[in-house]
Amino acid sequence: MSEQSKDVCDPSSAAEASDSEVNSSPGVPGGLSPPASQAAILAGPETPPLGPTDAPLASPPPQAPSEEGDPKALQQASEEGRAHQAPSVAQPGPAPPAPAQLVQKAHELMWYVLVKDQKRMIIWFPDMVKDVIGSYKKWCRSILRRTSLILARVFGLHLRLTSLHTMEFSLVKALEPEELDRVALSNRMPMTGLLLMILSLIYVKGRGARESAVWNVLRILGLRPWKKHSTFGDVRKLITEEFVQQNYLKYQRVPHAEPPEYEFFWGSRASREITKMQIMEFLARVFKKDPQAWPSRYREALEEARALREADPSSHCPRSSVSED
Amino acid sequence: MEEGRAERRRRTEAPSHTQGGPRRAGVMTDVHRRFLQLLMTHGVLEEGDVRRLQNHCYRVHDRSAAVEELEDFINNINSVLESLYIEIKKGATEDDGRPVYALVNLATTSVSKMASDFAENELDLFRKALELIIDSETGFASSTNILNLVDQLKGKKMRKKEAEQVLQKFVQNKWLIEKEGEFTLHSRAILEMEQYIRETYPDAVKICNICHSLLIQGQSCETCGIRMHLPCVAKYFQSNSEPRCPHCNDYWPHEIPEVFDPEKEREAGTSRATKRSLRSRQH
Repeated sequence: MSEQSKDVCDPSSAAEASDSEVNSSPGVPGGLSPPASQAAILAGPETPPLGPTDAPLASPPPQAPSEEGDPKALQQASEEGRAHQAPSVAQPGPAPPAPAQLVQKAHELMWYVLVKDQKRMIIWFPDMVKDVIGSYKKWCRSILRRTSLILARVFGLHLRLTSLHTMEFSLVKALEPEELDRVALSNRMPMTGLLLMILSLIYVKGRGARESAVWNVLRILGLRPWKKHSTFGDVRKLITEEFVQQNYLKYQRVPHAEPPEYEFFWGSRASREITKMQIMEFLARVFKKDPQAWPSRYREALEEARALREADPSSHCPRSSVSED
Repeated sequence: MEEGRAERRRRTEAPSHTQGGPRRAGVMTDVHRRFLQLLMTHGVLEEGDVRRLQNHCYRVHDRSAAVEELEDFINNINSVLESLYIEIKKGATEDDGRPVYALVNLATTSVSKMASDFAENELDLFRKALELIIDSETGFASSTNILNLVDQLKGKKMRKKEAEQVLQKFVQNKWLIEKEGEFTLHSRAILEMEQYIRETYPDAVKICNICHSLLIQGQSCETCGIRMHLPCVAKYFQSNSEPRCPHCNDYWPHEIPEVFDPEKEREAGTSRATKRSLRSRQH
């Protein structure tokens, strides 16, 4: 596992709450550990320092150079805004809130950001201030930093300022590899997803798919012919040998091609077990489009479905029985 | 020193069945983080998908480790989430008892989760629909009745046509379910808002006699009026040829549904497929 055990739990985290001027150098190169005072925040201000084996949370997140500088810039922006709004009434500065209140604000902000991201909405800094931070605007920097830390430690997500100009944030996944997730839930097993991806490509092309084309598509999933993969292992062997042995794919030399090239076709087992409509549904899910975005293929799938129903009126929608290995 | 370390390890791997002691915060690894990311992305997931998700996360980050039992896995994560006032909550669909999971915010005391992307009048429409659903006998509110309240909404004036679309938006976002022109709460809404609903409508709210959770759809005893969720009825009266009300002992007048069995679902899928491939091989 990728845990670094240089976690430092510092009881001065309580002091950090009221201190929003932590030293930050915008040019911090990646990989350095964050300021020690941040480390214990998530465990709560009361947690005593623990050794690595007992550490409630794992290692600090990798530092991005932009993270440190941004809260400062935003702090200035929000302070300027406040200065413009403040009327002539002379008020004493607001009392610094209790650490627990700032922690609570950080939790609220964390949820707010997660929900915005879930709904694929823009995370806009002025909205964050208006909807969540409110009267704690002066401490928004420390709240933001705390939130970022929680998101990194618990969710493996980076809260990044994507555009200082528009003041937009986004949640970026901090775990590798990334692209697998889309396939994982769309199908029963990752193997199925991989196979369906190739079958779909062949189907959409309407003829054999050259090996180069297949690898172009698999590259989107982060798969390369020479790279061993944590889930699929030797991908090339899997698709050119195992899937072929199982009759899900046919792997044939392209006639008259120099240098030699190979192409993939549907195997006999794929034709038996997988319907065109299943391919259309798969495409719709993966590309988040209506199946009718591939009109001629969709028509074909409909016709096949009708033919199947007529051939055997007693059967319901056939399910894929791609072997779950 | 060896002993001390072993002792500490035993303490850290606190078995999930120890009760009474303080909840020990678990260790977050990339397996858990990816799991949380994906659970959050999907909003609400059925148990089968949650297991697949868990397996996927192990495969990606820690192939050699044994996949922890789902309940322990989730309890482990929840112990870390506790200090953040969020948790992975388990519920069940009210119509057929499929277990579902969602990441919910315990600190929410309003419909504020939806607040960020719905306008004031849209939120109010949801509140109106919610009230009708809770007050109804069946747990369903008709589209007509909801739309008739459009004039009473706070905020910008909304036309009925617009309101229909907003209701569809709620369905797409898994807050409401529509069945034949009537609306009820999606299991996600129940999971997320149970606390809010119980606090806001303490008199109108219905509770299941068996599991004591919020009840929107269910069956009720015609004599004494107690209610039960359909899956709770299924479990309670399983293989009971003479079902009787647990409260007043009168004959239970409704059809007893079947207990949800995930194994049966999977079997049904494979047996159909086997039949199909056998058939096609014959010619």
